[in-house]
Amino acid sequence: MTLPNWAREPLVHFLVAGIVIFTLLAWRGGDVDPASRTIEVDREQQAQIALVFERTMSRAPTDAELDAQIERYVRDEILYREALRLGLDRGDAVVRQRMAQKMDILASSQAETVQPSEETLRAHYDANPQAFASDVRYTLDQLWFEDRKGAERALTYVETADDAFELGQSISLPPSVDAMTSKELADRFGIQFTQNLDGLEPGENWQGPVGSGLGWHLVRLRVRDASKVPPFENVRSDVEDHWRTQTIARRKEEAFQLLRDSYKVTVKK
Amino acid sequence: MHKQARRYFLLGAVTFALAACSQGVDADQQGTGEGTIELTEFPDRPYWGDTHLHTDNSIDAFGFGVRLGPEEALMFASGQEVTATTGMRAKLARPLDFLVISDHSDGLGATRRLFDAPRLGVVAMGDETMLRWYDMMHESPEQSQRAIGELITAAANGTLPEAMTSNPEEQDAATAEIWGAHLEMLDRYNKPGKFTAFAGFEYTLMPDGNNLHRVVMFRDGLDRTGQVLPYPGINSDVEGLWDYMLAYEQATGGQALAIPHNSNLSNGLMFELTMPGGRPITAEYARKRAAAEPVVEVTQIKGDSEAHPFLSPNDEMAGFGVKGWELGNLPLTRETTNDMLAGNYIREALKRGLSLEEQLGVNPYAFGMIGSTDSHTSLATGDEDNFYGKHTGNEPSYQDRALEGQNLGTRIGRFGWHYLAGGYAAAWARGNTRAEIFDAFQRREVYATTGPRMTVRLFGGFDFSEADWDGDWVRAGYTRGVPMGGELEDRGNPPTFLISALKDPDGANLDRVQVVKGWVDNSGELQERVYDVSWSDMDKRSRVGGKVPAVGDTVDRATATYTNDIGAAELRTAWTDPDYVEGQRAFYYVRVIEIPTPRWTLFDAVRFGIKLPEDAMADAVAQERAYSSPIWLKPAPPAIMEQQ
Repeated sequence: MTLPNWAREPLVHFLVAGIVIFTLLAWRGGDVDPASRTIEVDREQQAQIALVFERTMSRAPTDAELDAQIERYVRDEILYREALRLGLDRGDAVVRQRMAQKMDILASSQAETVQPSEETLRAHYDANPQAFASDVRYTLDQLWFEDRKGAERALTYVETADDAFELGQSISLPPSVDAMTSKELADRFGIQFTQNLDGLEPGENWQGPVGSGLGWHLVRLRVRDASKVPPFENVRSDVEDHWRTQTIARRKEEAFQLLRDSYKVTVKK
Repeated sequence: MHKQARRYFLLGAVTFALAACSQGVDADQQGTGEGTIELTEFPDRPYWGDTHLHTDNSIDAFGFGVRLGPEEALMFASGQEVTATTGMRAKLARPLDFLVISDHSDGLGATRRLFDAPRLGVVAMGDETMLRWYDMMHESPEQSQRAIGELITAAANGTLPEAMTSNPEEQDAATAEIWGAHLEMLDRYNKPGKFTAFAGFEYTLMPDGNNLHRVVMFRDGLDRTGQVLPYPGINSDVEGLWDYMLAYEQATGGQALAIPHNSNLSNGLMFELTMPGGRPITAEYARKRAAAEPVVEVTQIKGDSEAHPFLSPNDEMAGFGVKGWELGNLPLTRETTNDMLAGNYIREALKRGLSLEEQLGVNPYAFGMIGSTDSHTSLATGDEDNFYGKHTGNEPSYQDRALEGQNLGTRIGRFGWHYLAGGYAAAWARGNTRAEIFDAFQRREVYATTGPRMTVRLFGGFDFSEADWDGDWVRAGYTRGVPMGGELEDRGNPPTFLISALKDPDGANLDRVQVVKGWVDNSGELQERVYDVSWSDMDKRSRVGGKVPAVGDTVDRATATYTNDIGAAELRTAWTDPDYVEGQRAFYYVRVIEIPTPRWTLFDAVRFGIKLPEDAMADAVAQERAYSSPIWLKPAPPAIMEQQ
């Protein structure tokens, strides 16, 4: 990056552009073609302006509001025309990038609306099963201890305790969770806890201590419901979303490669 | 007016076409999510989100070079891997629960007009040239190039079809199309119970460079949001925005709210004691503002707006994320002077609100607090170790980003290292749907963090005690008191608060929990006080000279690491206001402070082997925090004459 950051700020561009326009106009305002210095705001254009106002504000504009909108339109149009006349659209980094983005979007626009066939989607589903796999789900009870020793001690008598839940220290965590997804489990207990559960076999016995970012836990891992790829019918709209996203990305790249191939580019060393 | 009628019809047709487009989308994903999932009895957990994210539909984000759009933003926030603009693969270790994409309404999507025009309405427009180009573009690459060649020639000769020429109305029509397509995509990613995608935009009002920006967030799906366009910030005033929101609600039956942000860069204008222009605030203005803006964004990449040391000299922990940003307004065209600070910082605004309420009977500044990113990279990263930069110009690929001047136009005073990593919003809701999370914002049952995901509960009431912790205290909180964001009516005895803060399970331990109280004293003066109410190792860390000693610092500057050998996993207390005076208006909010941890600047310094300048190094370790929404204590209404 050779440009300093401030030079990349649109606001700076706008200010510079403004200064250039006004300086040049003051100097040589008469040089441009006067024929295009006509702006006619006909009834239809006024109706359009009014319509946009109505779409925004959910009501028709008053006469004063419409006048203000028209005045704004005229102002923008004048500055825009003058800027074009002065060639301010050329060599502008923002304009250049915008045009490039439009080309990308052009390449992908068709993919955004096309309805893929059932076969296409099924093939996509078969090719990317992991993208549609369900979360692992956990059903478990847990007791929390501030330090490892406390957890180890409790493990020696937890199976014979009248009420195991009395043994843990008090903390704002659910003592039991039922078919909770790994995402939600990680939200509540942390990623470390969720990962450490991998080392446990499901069963009706208390295990641990299991470390987490919060401390130490004794865990009764009742069920670990492994991740499955659901049948196509259950995830059809996910498959379509996934297909669309990938197709858009691929079309952009393909379109660029076609254009790129028609160019001869030399970068002097 | 025949033509006008036809255009109405066309716009209507576009709306219906868009509605038809989302037929492939599950019906549950399209609306507010009410009735789609099972809800818990009380809000059960905080849902994490970012309400302030820009994508390539934002004119400035695009100018900075971001090439990721709303779709990638939604993928990333919901946990999928994407490729950042500068080429790195990026995946959020802990996906978010909700996202508001808040592209600037000015010029929203205008960049895409040329290509959306052919896509959405070429046939309807009936323009032969465009139809031919459209066909050529889709026929073959050679034809496509030829079409583009013709297009460029036509542009040069000024013979572009009328439908493609640039004028504001058509640009607005294009915005409508982008907006509609955008809304349709949001519905595709909105999955009740899993991930909530909100429609929104940023209203970018900035008189003289003074930041009065708001993020507008909708509760609804395409069926309602598709009926309006985003409200432009240029040539408007904020009352116009509120009118717009009200009109939306009346016309569609939907709901919208606005979230002011970066008051720290408003040069005193965000929370004035007068209306814009200096007239006294009217009750009507205060009511409108209170109705439209229940929540403010207190912390984000461009600094933290909770409190300033000048306004809160007795608060040793004021001033987080203040450096650099306090110098002036957004583009640093005007300096900030001390007399402006009161209108810039949220604690002061909450105090001003109390005093305005005494005068007007309505409080325009009774808001809850959230954090967000304001990232311009399409990537909602809020943690210190995954900072993707304010914008694409300082993604991690630019290794000296911490050192660069970041001010616009001038190079004095603001540097890359002043950026914060960005915050997040936590919403206490009964489930993850648009309606549930929006309603949490509306009732202010939300809180802010500077990035870490600590769980913060706050209930206010008159009969709570430490004994409540032994039972189902959440139920007690909801049934015998009010949660954060609520109001208590003065009963002549001091309020007690149940306060609980659980650390981020994947983050740092907690140093302390504080209550910040603001009130109007008996002579009408605004007062504030910060109470340390619970801290780690309370038995060993007793107060010295009335102050809780510092928790310590385990950060190794050479490796950007820390340990959780100090601090606590959870802090709880039932706290009663010791300075309560009957009849005084007050608010109470909770500030949770973590132990010191490395900031993104220290991670950068270690990763990239950069030497930070002395002042940046002094700022490279910080105590991150959470701010709850307040609970307000209001005087009881004058006794109603009971007889006759």
